[in-house]
Amino acid sequence: MAISLLPDNPAAWTYRRFEELYAIPREEREKLQLEAVRINFARLRDRIPALRKLADRQGVEHIDKLEDVLPVCFDHRVLKNYPFQIIENRDFRKLTGWLDKLTAHDLTRVDLDGLSTIEQWLARLETYGMLVTYSSGTTGKLSFVPRSYDELGPWKYHFYSVNRASSGVDAWTEKLPTFFPGYRGGYQTMLKMMSLFNVEMAGGDANYYTLYDTHIPADLMALSGRLQAAEDKGEIMDLGLDPALLEQREQMMQQGREREQRMEEWFGKLIREFKGQRVKIGGTFADLYRVARAGLDKGMTCEFAPGSILQGGGGMKGYKDAPDDWEEQVKDFFGVDRLGNQYGFSECIGNAPLCEHGFFHFLPYTVPLLMDGEGKAMSREGVQKGRLVLVDPIPTSYWGGFTSGDEVTMHWDDDCACGWKGPRAAKTIRRFAESEGGDDKITCAGSQQAYNEFMEFVQGEA
Amino acid sequence: MDTVLNIPIIARGHVIMPGEDAVQFKGRGGADFRQADPHKHIHDLVLGDTAKLRDLHDTPMAEIIDLLAELGNRLVLEDNPLLQESFELALKAGGLAEPILRGVYDALPQMFERGALAALADKTIGLAYLDGWVPGSGDYDCISIRAVGTRQLHITAGNVPVVAALTIARAGLTKSDLLIKSPSNDPLTANAIARTLIDLAPDHPVTKHIAIAYWKGGDEFMDSQIVRTSRIDKITAWGGMSSVRHIQKFLTPGIDLTALNPKYSMSMIGRETFESAAAMDEAAIGLATIAGFYNQTACANTRIVYVECDAEDEDEIEQVVKLGRKMVAAYGDLPPLLSTPFPHPNRELEAEMEAVALEDDFYHVEGDTLIGGFIVSKFNDRVEFFDKLNNRVVNFVPVDDLNDVIKWCDDTTQTVGIYPEERRAGLLDAFALAGVQRLVPLAGGDPMTVYAGMHHMPPGSPHDGIEPMRRSVRWVIDMRPARHAVPLSVAAE
Repeated sequence: MAISLLPDNPAAWTYRRFEELYAIPREEREKLQLEAVRINFARLRDRIPALRKLADRQGVEHIDKLEDVLPVCFDHRVLKNYPFQIIENRDFRKLTGWLDKLTAHDLTRVDLDGLSTIEQWLARLETYGMLVTYSSGTTGKLSFVPRSYDELGPWKYHFYSVNRASSGVDAWTEKLPTFFPGYRGGYQTMLKMMSLFNVEMAGGDANYYTLYDTHIPADLMALSGRLQAAEDKGEIMDLGLDPALLEQREQMMQQGREREQRMEEWFGKLIREFKGQRVKIGGTFADLYRVARAGLDKGMTCEFAPGSILQGGGGMKGYKDAPDDWEEQVKDFFGVDRLGNQYGFSECIGNAPLCEHGFFHFLPYTVPLLMDGEGKAMSREGVQKGRLVLVDPIPTSYWGGFTSGDEVTMHWDDDCACGWKGPRAAKTIRRFAESEGGDDKITCAGSQQAYNEFMEFVQGEA
Repeated sequence: MDTVLNIPIIARGHVIMPGEDAVQFKGRGGADFRQADPHKHIHDLVLGDTAKLRDLHDTPMAEIIDLLAELGNRLVLEDNPLLQESFELALKAGGLAEPILRGVYDALPQMFERGALAALADKTIGLAYLDGWVPGSGDYDCISIRAVGTRQLHITAGNVPVVAALTIARAGLTKSDLLIKSPSNDPLTANAIARTLIDLAPDHPVTKHIAIAYWKGGDEFMDSQIVRTSRIDKITAWGGMSSVRHIQKFLTPGIDLTALNPKYSMSMIGRETFESAAAMDEAAIGLATIAGFYNQTACANTRIVYVECDAEDEDEIEQVVKLGRKMVAAYGDLPPLLSTPFPHPNRELEAEMEAVALEDDFYHVEGDTLIGGFIVSKFNDRVEFFDKLNNRVVNFVPVDDLNDVIKWCDDTTQTVGIYPEERRAGLLDAFALAGVQRLVPLAGGDPMTVYAGMHHMPPGSPHDGIEPMRRSVRWVIDMRPARHAVPLSVAAE
């Protein structure tokens, strides 16, 4: 017998055990999902100006079948369709006006007095009740996810749940000392999640170990490309930035240069200190492999207690020519049985945990759809490859339908050997533009390159 | 679509058809092709012994020009089955619409026109320098200089077939040994021209110094075998870093690289344009032509239009929108030889356009990627996806003063259209210093006049700010004992 869920409150679904959620029979699940998406769209359609505009233009009044939602999903670019200039000028009135169209909250009442940095702006929004985070894609321009405290509960429950699914450890009851080779906070989505959830999961600040004790300021992320270009022209002072921020940039770049060595030392110390204890290790797989390789080269392996877990992300981005057996090497070095992994977008709450058979399974409160190259809905039967669209019916302060840039192979039948049901994505995921031959495209070297260079220094934050 | 084309390797007068050892490659536009394994034909492709350039070195320019001119006579699409085959394939690859592509192929014979070839060599190098040692004068009459042919690798671009023809003509005119690495999206044009030449004069030194093959970009074995100072003197890479990225690690001092980078082009519209309807119409036709010709596949096509106006003033922005509408309307009047609507939408660009269209405080978007369209920025900056602008979609960017545009100019800025003409003098030198390579008029009032005004240049004009032919020869000095007394000082050169 499946559990009973209400379609008008998908946020509450996150309170259930993922095992129960995965066990809902397909027909029932799809009915619930359609109903939840239908209700959420009806609720938000005319309350979020950007959604209303899109829905008007597409002539979509209501959702009758799931595919109806495709034309009203935001392209992932919508969360960054402000002119870069307003970031450069730190024109917070315009930036707030822009964000206001993406949320049901009234941001015209936010006090913008005395703001001089994007970091301060995000903090001011937080004081107002928003939980706006940013992510930086390949172009270097920040996307702002207009989340608010209204979503904090389900976000947190889901996060605990998905971590249990991919590691087997229930962080509500078992607190493990946690190592994260990155920065300690900031509004970047992953970092914000660290401070909102991971610290508590680890059992408090003292149990949460990061490579750096500092934040990444959003301003440096937002302006990285611009700063590099200005530096090349000798115009960096003309940008009118706080000298303290520039100082911090210098420090971060210095940290970046010493990063590999620092990371090895830092891990080395933790490995010795926590010998025989259960721990949780996080970070990008590229970093974790780097540490593992350096350790294995010295003939070392970790001796943590059995039941230690590792949660990685970010694929092997930032590591060239990794050997085929890099996953085995990481497991051997850290002494863990599996590599916990999740897939999702920062725009959607419900990222999917990786099962033991190598598939990312979506929970019922995240509704996946595939689109073909023409933007048409693809069949939800068998195995299909296309552009992934995720509809998140949980949020009430922003619209959760997003078209990604990812090409994903979906298995729609509930037949995974791991026993979890629900649609699942194969592990190999690539950018859709690449498969269209977009990698041949020659793009403007300047800002992109500068951004990548900067990111090479500070990578590991996500 | 399932047919696999057989493509030969051209090896110095020989045509090597794919046989037992052939390998299959993926082409674009659904046409795969087979070719003999290039790994097994390295020695057919490279010239290790520079003494073998002697035959070409000793051939007079007049004879080379005669040969190339005769080759040009045979490059008539209707009469040349080899060219027809490459035309069909280029059409399938889908870069250019049929009438435009036909126009491009029809122009091939003109590129080999005798007078144009002679002028090209004479203007950029000097015919006398190619045929012999040219002595200095006065005190320096004991010193002679000659332009000597080199061994060249050309990594050609496939978007316009002209590049293949240009490369063959330029190599012949510099008495150089030519190896072309064909692009996967046009593996046939260079072959067709070279095979026509083989039919015409199989034993001529020019024919004997042309090799053409396709190998995959990033084929380290090929690159390591070919890009050596013992085998190659000069590399010309079209498409810039993307095409050299793979061979970069083999580049060593002694190999001279000419990177013909990808370029961006733009136009500038002065405030005066909005003073009369006639001026707006003329500017709109100019913009439609410069943005639309070759369906915006060329680097000289305008993608961004900087307009002198007040970004904060709604009425002025409305005028820019009007200019955009007139431009899109003028696309309809472009002759099919220059520009046509697109058969397929550009999904990526449309997604970008739709994403910003939701934000009408900052952008005004009209049109699509089938007919063409425009995005007006309501602030002083271009859209972030400016490098994706295509399918006759342009971005209008308000600027307070046209001189502000300089900040967006660098050595990637190739062609800049200007309207009205009276603004040119005030802008020319500053833009030249900023890196711009060509300033062209938008005036004329009808598409063919505008097109001619921005394209007709004398042979041997600079290309992307440099003179590639002059750079592709070796300038050798022959110093003999002085016949006059020379000052006996020692100075640094």
